[in-house]
Formats: sequence, structure tokens, C-alpha cells
Amino acid sequence: MNEKFRIRAKRNDRIAQWMITLGGMLVICSVILILVLIAGTTLPLFKAPRAEIFAKFPLPKEPTQEVLALGVDEYLETGFFIDRQGRFNFFENQQGLASDQMAAQPPGDGIKVLKLESFGRMQFGLLWEDGSLSLERVVYKPFFDEARGNRRSIEHTLERDAFFPATTTGLPVQSMGRVAEGGRKTRVDLLTNGQLLINQVAVSESLFGDPEEESFSESVVVPAGASLTAMALSSDGTKLYAGTSSGRLLRWSLAEPGTAELLDDLRAFDDQRTITALTLVFGDYSLAVGDDRGEVTTWFPVRIEENRAGKQLQRIHDLSSHNGTVVMIRPSLRDKSLLSLSEQGLLRLDHMTSERHLLELGNHEPLTHYNFSTRSDGIIAMTSDHRAIIWRLDNPHPEVSWGTLFGKTWYEGYDAPEFVWQSSSGNDDFEPKLSLTPLIFGTLKGTFYAMLFAVPLALLGAIYTSQFCRPRLRGIIKPAIEIMAAIPTVIIGFLAALWLAPLVEKSLGAVFMSIVFIPVGLIIAVIIWQTLRRHEPLKRIERGYEFLAVIPVIILSLAIAITLGPLAENLLFDGNLKQWLFTEMGTRYDPRNCIIIAFGMGFAVIPLIFTIAEDALSNVPPALRAASLACGASRWQTVWRVILPSASPGIFAGSMIGFGRAVGETMIVLMATGNTAIMDLSIFNGMRPLSANIAVEIPEAPHGGTLYRTLFLSAVILFLMTFVVNTAAEVIRQRLRKKYGRF
Amino acid sequence: MKKYWRTGEPCVWGTGAALAVTLLIAATLIVVVMVNGLGVFWPAAIEKLELKDGSALLGELTQRETVHEGEEFRRQYKVGNRDLYGLDFRWVDEADILAVSQPSDALLLEREEYGNFYGFLNRFEDGGAGGDMLGALRNSHAEVMAEKALVRGMNEEISRLSYQLDRLRRNLLKAEYQGLGPDHPKILEIKRNQAILQDDFSHLVARQNQAAADMRARKAIFADVNGREREIALADIVAIYGPNQMSLVEKAGVYLHRLKELFVGEPRESNTEGGLFPAIFGTIMLIFIMSLFSFPLGVIAAIYLREYAKEGMIVRLVRIAVNNLAGIPSIVYGIFGLGFFIYGVGSSIDQMFFPETLPTPTFGTGGILWASLTLALLTVPVVIVSTEEALGAIPREIREGSLALGSTKFQTLMRILLPMASPGIMTGLILSMARAAGEVAPLMITGVVKLAPSLPIDGNFPFLHLDRKFMHLGFHIFDIGFQSPNVEAAKPMVFVTTLLLVLIVLTMSSVAIYLRNRMKKRYTFSTF
Repeated sequence: MNEKFRIRAKRNDRIAQWMITLGGMLVICSVILILVLIAGTTLPLFKAPRAEIFAKFPLPKEPTQEVLALGVDEYLETGFFIDRQGRFNFFENQQGLASDQMAAQPPGDGIKVLKLESFGRMQFGLLWEDGSLSLERVVYKPFFDEARGNRRSIEHTLERDAFFPATTTGLPVQSMGRVAEGGRKTRVDLLTNGQLLINQVAVSESLFGDPEEESFSESVVVPAGASLTAMALSSDGTKLYAGTSSGRLLRWSLAEPGTAELLDDLRAFDDQRTITALTLVFGDYSLAVGDDRGEVTTWFPVRIEENRAGKQLQRIHDLSSHNGTVVMIRPSLRDKSLLSLSEQGLLRLDHMTSERHLLELGNHEPLTHYNFSTRSDGIIAMTSDHRAIIWRLDNPHPEVSWGTLFGKTWYEGYDAPEFVWQSSSGNDDFEPKLSLTPLIFGTLKGTFYAMLFAVPLALLGAIYTSQFCRPRLRGIIKPAIEIMAAIPTVIIGFLAALWLAPLVEKSLGAVFMSIVFIPVGLIIAVIIWQTLRRHEPLKRIERGYEFLAVIPVIILSLAIAITLGPLAENLLFDGNLKQWLFTEMGTRYDPRNCIIIAFGMGFAVIPLIFTIAEDALSNVPPALRAASLACGASRWQTVWRVILPSASPGIFAGSMIGFGRAVGETMIVLMATGNTAIMDLSIFNGMRPLSANIAVEIPEAPHGGTLYRTLFLSAVILFLMTFVVNTAAEVIRQRLRKKYGRF
Repeated sequence: MKKYWRTGEPCVWGTGAALAVTLLIAATLIVVVMVNGLGVFWPAAIEKLELKDGSALLGELTQRETVHEGEEFRRQYKVGNRDLYGLDFRWVDEADILAVSQPSDALLLEREEYGNFYGFLNRFEDGGAGGDMLGALRNSHAEVMAEKALVRGMNEEISRLSYQLDRLRRNLLKAEYQGLGPDHPKILEIKRNQAILQDDFSHLVARQNQAAADMRARKAIFADVNGREREIALADIVAIYGPNQMSLVEKAGVYLHRLKELFVGEPRESNTEGGLFPAIFGTIMLIFIMSLFSFPLGVIAAIYLREYAKEGMIVRLVRIAVNNLAGIPSIVYGIFGLGFFIYGVGSSIDQMFFPETLPTPTFGTGGILWASLTLALLTVPVVIVSTEEALGAIPREIREGSLALGSTKFQTLMRILLPMASPGIMTGLILSMARAAGEVAPLMITGVVKLAPSLPIDGNFPFLHLDRKFMHLGFHIFDIGFQSPNVEAAKPMVFVTTLLLVLIVLTMSSVAIYLRNRMKKRYTFSTF
């Protein structure tokens, strides 16, 4: 033989060995890669938030200047502070140097700011010493600076939203003003005598389309014994909250100008604690309450009793506690986070829905003033020694915690904690509801009903095919069922939803009748056959063809059920089973429900279970079977007592694999369920399983967002569900293989 | 009798019944698809109903069902004329029908817009007064169709030009991204070319607009059954049929014509009418690209498992991995494809090779390549399992004989084992293709679209556009069955698509299973 050829052949052989080994390893790696990648995408959900110090410098101010409030733009470039004279002093954060000064125009010469309230997006209510109130707003506007090579710069302006002249009732202790979108202005004053004065200017359109202003002034008597210590006003000025020194919470509606309505007067805390800080969480639905025990709680009105129309404030979420009195709480303007400051100068960032404590700032230097940046992804604060610190927040998924993902959560607008999946909505201040529990429930529910339908049919069919059927027929049936497995699920789903669902809806009675009629028909047929089979020729042909003989019986029973269905419905349920279900049983009938899923998904998994179970059954050594028959057992006794036990691991494996397939099936459930995330075991309504949820929501989920990562998490759950089941099945099959040594 | 029960014979019947039910359900599925799908293209008779309220109705009978507790019937007609009535279908109680006739001059117009028109020809100016107005209309229509083909030819030219313009624009962006100034000769050159092309382009568009306007000037006036007139441009009419005066042969001709249209035509009316060509093409292309990846990988992995790896822990782990790979839900593959291929690999490719067009993604969005790779991963286990089976079925003696003659392992593999196992490998390949043809969920995430503007292969350099989005038969079913504005009108098309997909998949898997069974018989070795 040619030496060269031999060397080449050997070399090729070695190369091939490496390549092939590499290919094999690649397969294991890809399974691991899939899991690692999907799981890796979900990990940031649980990452602890971080605040990185962006800048830190002594505040550029005169020693005499007193700081009332702070602010910073969305790029954390330009900050400002407000002093007693009502001047807004801007500074560059990079160098920590003062840049320019803008003054809010005082109502008269030399009048200083008495009190300042900061609210909304860089909005400030300045109460002047003469009792007048002005609402100022700092507007940051990014633009591309031609002069500086088209670099992005940011410019700032100061705008006045409203001016409320001084009231005649003397100098208020505290004053709040708001301008609603339609132009309606509201001013609330807490007077020295503990009463409230409410001034409102309503804007309506006259006949000729000109705006008409109408002023209302009203003195509100605070209930006896309540000395107000904190107040909060919604951004449209229609909801007023107040807290007292003895732990009472008061709530007024100012929706009707001139007639303030006291909605709540609630002893919120039994231990007489003083409520020291109140603010409305982003969206103006929940109220955040801080007290002198250092606790921060959120409250919103809840319907207390079924038949009472009114709602009452209810304690919903408890956030992490401070050590001392809570001085101030500020809401984030991008999510439901709250930033609270204690008298010790410690800042704590908490998320309301998830009750997650996110951050603690100011451990080393006590803080006195703080504010969110305009986009709420940064914080500016001042230390007690007049230094400014600016943090950039890395806090992408504060709303996710194990509790919100899997537990019951009390969402805004709900009367009790619930499992809810509702990922998005039209408005920005929406509280995302990302509970995976109803989806997992939906997956398991659909799988359960499908398996209920598929497992008996597939296993019994497999027993028949492997044990009783004529071998010639078996050679046709088995491939036929294997081909059945190839029918695309999108087709099954389409037929289930658009052909089967209307059919079942129309003849629901017949469907239930057939469940009874088919077995009864079979028993009758067997009894009749029993008398017929005494004739020798019939007896000879019967064996191995039973299932063919049964087909007309089934069709006949079905036909009887369909004809009798409407009749029975008339007699028993006043002609409308669906109506009866609703009124008598309290279950709503969805046209796309679990009956449809059971048929559709069951049909999709039957071939899988059938094939594996049939293989396992027909691979039981024939000696066992022969021995049993020789001992005089009937063919059923042989199957039941001998074959089934020895093939049981294979049958189990088949069912497991069928289960895995049903869990992950997407198209059928996507098309044939209503896709509503409800938790209801009833067979008459649908569900929203994990898989369909992914298919529906991932196209709309922004890359890297909370929803995107949560959907990846649900993919991990699906993966793990099938992984456990498939691994178990495979281990069993490998054992079986060893036992019989021939698969 | 008692003994009969005790032997458990009825239980045997019970198991037989289970099998019978399973087979019946499968048969029902096939029959439903066949019945609903095959009849769609058959030109049904157009019936004219005179109703009790004095009005008339013209349309095709689609359904009949019982109402009022089974004592009366009502019928559903497809009445078309969406531009006149708003809805394509109408239910009529049989009690309201006075007379049913089949007027021989009733016409069915398939139109580009607003669905079918059922009615009569009123006036056609070009055909002159009297005479054979319908014949003249048909002739004119044929002429217009020929013109339309010419206009469409221009369309191709226009799309070629616009593609070239787009390339130039991208080149310009790239040059600017590379920091070339506005006076650089390269940029000037591009700009000059752009101007020339733009000129050609607008010239051609103007010509096409003119031709289209000329074509649309030829109109005919039709009337619905109640005499409401409608002027329809011949260019808007796809086909004119008078099904009531057709012979069986003519009807068969129409059937075949429509069938041909299905395979080569473009979809119309948000996919509910017209052809399936882009979807069929996309499906085939997807399967082809997928096979390029899954076939070698799967076969190599199987060879490793069966021929190279030593039985032990690792092989067991790989087997478990393979079976898990087969069991992972397809939607999980889809989400993996999105996270890994599109946002991972695709975005990197964009950053490396197409930074000038960012943030508009080139490969960083769904496309046929990523969908194919995702499906390849999904179908690899199928190939592995079949190939392993096939290799395992080859008797040991054959291997040993070859090795004993001095051949290396690789030579044995290439010359003996693979040829012998080829039917089994083919089985795996075909099964994986069938799976890919029917899989929809992962595609929905990785790049399938309702309507793709252009095919992944065309006459523009580089001819193969792997970054393009594509259409797919399975997704077509989901889309028009569930997301079309007019589900009822879309139903026939869904059934036709379903029938096509069922036929493709069943044929493929039948062939695969036939091959496998032949292989089994050859070696009479039982396999799992």
C-alpha cells in the first residue's frame, strides 16, 4: 500500500476524531448555553440597585445664603439651589462653580421667601412673607450647540406657573398651590388657628369660546382635636390629604370648587404618633405617610364593605423604617419609588409596590436637603456642612421582587392583594403588575386538562396496538399515529379555535352527553356482541379487529348524543346550558375554554405518548408474555398483571415527555384560549399560559426592560419545568435500556 | 357470560375503543381540512334570492344551520360588494325567502380591492351598443391585463433603481461615518451617481404613473342585484367569471387557474386573497438554510455519540442533553434566538460592519438567517436521534469487518457506515424539515412578518439577503385566521393554506417514516 496514502488516511482519521468530538461537545454546550443565556438575561432583575457618586463639591454660595431647595437636570450637569430671596442659583456640576442666577420676582421690594414647597417635576411653591404664593418651575431644555461642534448642551429657564395674591386672613403657616391642566388653580393654606383656607379659580369656557374665570374661597373646618402636621395636595389640586399630631389621616375632595368634601377621618395609627411627612406617590393614587417613629407607609382608598359605595383609606404597603422622625418624602417621577429623609440626615429609597428597600444614602455625612433629577435617575443632596453630592442611580428594575413575581400583591385600585398579570397600559404612571403565578397556573391548568384527555386515550390505544392488534394492522396504525405527530400545532390551534370552538359552543349539551353515551354505547355493544359471537365464524375474525368494530358504535353514540343534546338541554337547563351555568353555577362560559384546549393540546400530545408507550410495551420480552399465557391467564390478565408492570417505566417516561410538550406548547394555547390571566380552575373558561404570554408580549417588550427580562424569566421557568420532566424521563429510559439491553 | 367479564375481554374492547377514538379524531381533522380547503377554488353557483321585504340578494351559499330550536333553517350567503354593503356575508332566514334562481348573466368579479363583486354588467362603452357587451369586456380586460403586466415590469425596474439608490445612500453614510469631508472625490462621485439615478428614477415613476392612469381610464359600469350601479376600472378587476353558465370543464379550468394563482401569485387584500408565493418561498428558503446548519451538526453529533464516544458518564449526559434539547418548548428557542442571535450576535455584526446605519439595525433585528439558526437548534435533536438509530441498526460485524481489513475508523465511517445509514439520516433530515415547516412560535419572535416587501433572494447584488424578514405558511395561517380585520372572509384562505401545509408536512413525514421502516426491515434490529 502507498505509504503516503496511509499517512493521509491516519491524519484524516485523527482530524475527524477531533472534529466529531468537538461537534458532540457542542451539543451539550448548546443546552447549557441556552439555559445560561436565558437565565443571564433575567439576572439584572434581582441585582441590587447602586448609586454612584457623580459629583461632590462645596456648594458655591455666599455664607449668608440659606438653602431652601435643590435641583438638577436629567444629565446631572447643571444644578441649582434656591435661597431666601427667591433666587435660583445655578452651578456647573463638573467644576462645582456657580454659573448664573435667576430670580423669581418677589411680590414687593425686599420681601423674602417664608416657606418653600417643592413638588412635581422641578416645581416650587414659594410662600412670600406678605402671604402671597407663587409657583415657579425650572425648565431644562437640551439642544445641540452649533458653536461647540454640535455637542449636546442643556439650557435652563425659570417660568412662573401661577401667582396667588396674599389672602386677607393673615399669614398662613403652610401654603400649597397647584395648577391643573385645564388651568384650574388651587391654593390651600393652613392658618395659624389650625383651620384650612381653600381658594380655587375654576376656568370654564363661555358661550363664545372664551375662557371665563370664577373664583371660590372657602374656609374648611378641621374636625375637632386634629392639629394638622403635614399636608399633601395632588398635582391637579383635587385631592387634599392631611396628617395630624395624633396619628389621624384626613382626606378631602376638592373636585367641586367651593365645596370641599371630607371623605376620610381615620385614626390611622393607634399609638398617637405624629405624622410628619405626606406625599403622593407618582400617579397621585397612593399616599405616602412618614411619621415620628421613622416608619414610611403607603395608603390608598379601598372599598371596605361590599355594599358601601364609599371608600376608606387603608394601609397598603409598609416600607423600610428609619431610626428617627421622617422629615420629608419625595416621589420618583418614573416609577412608584419613594425617597425619604430622616432627621438624622439619612436618605432611603424604597419601591412601593415591591416593598423593596433599594438604597441608603448619607451614611457618612448627614443630609439636609435633597431632590430627584428631572428624570428621577439621579439624586442631588446637600450635606449639613453645605456640600453638594450628586448620585447617579443604577436602578433599572425596582418593581420586581420575588414577592411581586410569585406572591399576592396589593396593587393600586384593587380592594385586596391579588395575583395579577398586566404588563402595560397607556399611561406613564401605570403600576406594572408582573405576577407570574397566574401564568404558571394557566400553564398547569391547560396541561392538566390536556393530559386528562390525552393520557388515557394514548396509553389504552398503545396497549391495544402493541398487544391485541393484528401485526399487519399494527404496521399501519403505528406509522399513521407517528405521522399524526407531524401535524403542525398552528393547524391544530386554528381548527380548535375557529372550527371546534363554535361547534362545541353550539352543542355543549351534546359534548357532555357523548361523554356518557360513548361508554354506555360501548357496553351495550359488547353485550350484544357477546350473544352474537357464539357463532364460530364471528368468533374467529373478532380477535385483533375489535377497534374497527367499535368505530361504528362510537359514531352512532355520538350521533345519538348530538340529536339528543338540544333536547336534554331543553328539558334540564331551560334550553340554554350556558345561561344555566352562569346563573346556577356562577361560571361564565368562554367560547375558547379548556374543553377546546383539552381536545387540541391533547391531540397534539397523544402521538408522542402513544409512540413511546407502544415502544415500551412491545419491547417487553415475549418470553414473559408466553409464560403468562401458558399458565392460563387470559390475554387481558397477561397485559394487566405482566406486561404493564414491566413496561411501566417506559409508559411513565412517555407521559412525562407528553407533559413536557404540553407545558411548552404555544400556538394551540395562543389561538384557542382567551389569553386572559385569570386563576380559575373551571373547565369553561380559558387561561393565559407562560408560553402564549411570551409570544404575545415579547414583540412589544423593549430590549433590556423589566418586561423583557420578566419574559425571559418565564422562559427559564418553562425550561426548568421541561428540563426536570425530560431528564427524569430520559434517566428512566436509560435504566430500561440497561434492564432489557436491547433498545 | 360471567367468565367473559372476568377474563377482562371488555377491557380489551375498551382499549380498542381508545385507539378508535384517537384515529377518528385524526381522520376528522384531515377530513375537515380537506372539505373546507378543497372546495374553496371551485366556482360555486351564484344564487339570486327574492326576499319577503321585496329586496333581492345575490351571492354564493356558504352555510346552512338550524335556528329556533331546530325547527327552522337559516342560510349564510357570501354577497361580496364590500364597497356597497360593508360586510361580505349575510344571514337569511329561510322563512324570508320567496324564490331562488340562478341568473345566467350573473357575474363574479375578483377585484384588487374590496373583495369580490357579485352583480351584472350594465354598460361598457368600448363595446359599443348592443352586441356582445360581455365579450367586448372580456377582450378589453385581457388587454388591460397585458398592459398591467407591462406596468408591473416597470415596477421591477423601479424597485431595482430604488435598491441602488438605497445602496448609494448607505455608501454615503458610510463614507461620512469614516470622516470623509464633503469635498472628498469619493463623496462627490457618490453624489453624482445619486443625482443620475434619482433622475432615472423619477422619470420612470412618472412614466409608470402615466401608464397606470391611462389604464385606469377604461371603466365599465356594473350593477348589484338591487340595481345600484358601480363604476369599476378594468385595471382593478383580477378576473371575470360567469359561473352560472359555465360547463363542468370550464369550472375545472377556473379551478386549476386559481390553483396556479395560489402558487405563483402575490397576496392581496391583507393576505386574505390572492396567492401564497412569498409565503411558500419563505418557508422553503427557511427550511433550506436551516438544513444547512442542522444537518451537519446533527449528523456529526450522532456519529460522535455512536461511534467515537466511550460509553460512560459523558455519553449519558450528552444523551440527556439531546433529549432535553428535543423537549425544550419551541417558544424558549424563540426567546433564545431573540436574546442570543438578534440582540447578541446581530447587534455585534451591526456594530462591526454596519455602524453607519445605526441606530437602524441591519442584522440586529429579526431576519431569515436568525430564524433559520433558531430552527436549526430546534431540529438538531431530530437529526441526532434518527442518525443514531440508523448507525445503531448497522450490525457490528460490518464495522469489525471493515476495521479488520485495515481501514481507519474514518474510512469505515465514510465508505461503509454512512452510506448504509443514509436512509435513516434522510429520515432525520426530512422529519426535521417537516418540523421546521410547521413550527411558528419561535419564528414569530425571530423575524417572520405578515407581509414582506421583498423576497430574501432577488436580482440585486448580493442576491441573497439573509437579513431580510420573510413570510411563512404557518404564520400566514395564524395571521389571517386571527389577526385579519375580516376573519369570516379570510376563512377560505386559511383553510387553503392549512391544506397546503398539511399536505406538505404529511408528505414529508410519510416519506421519512417509509424510509425508516424500510431501513428497519433491512437489518431487522429493533430500535427505540
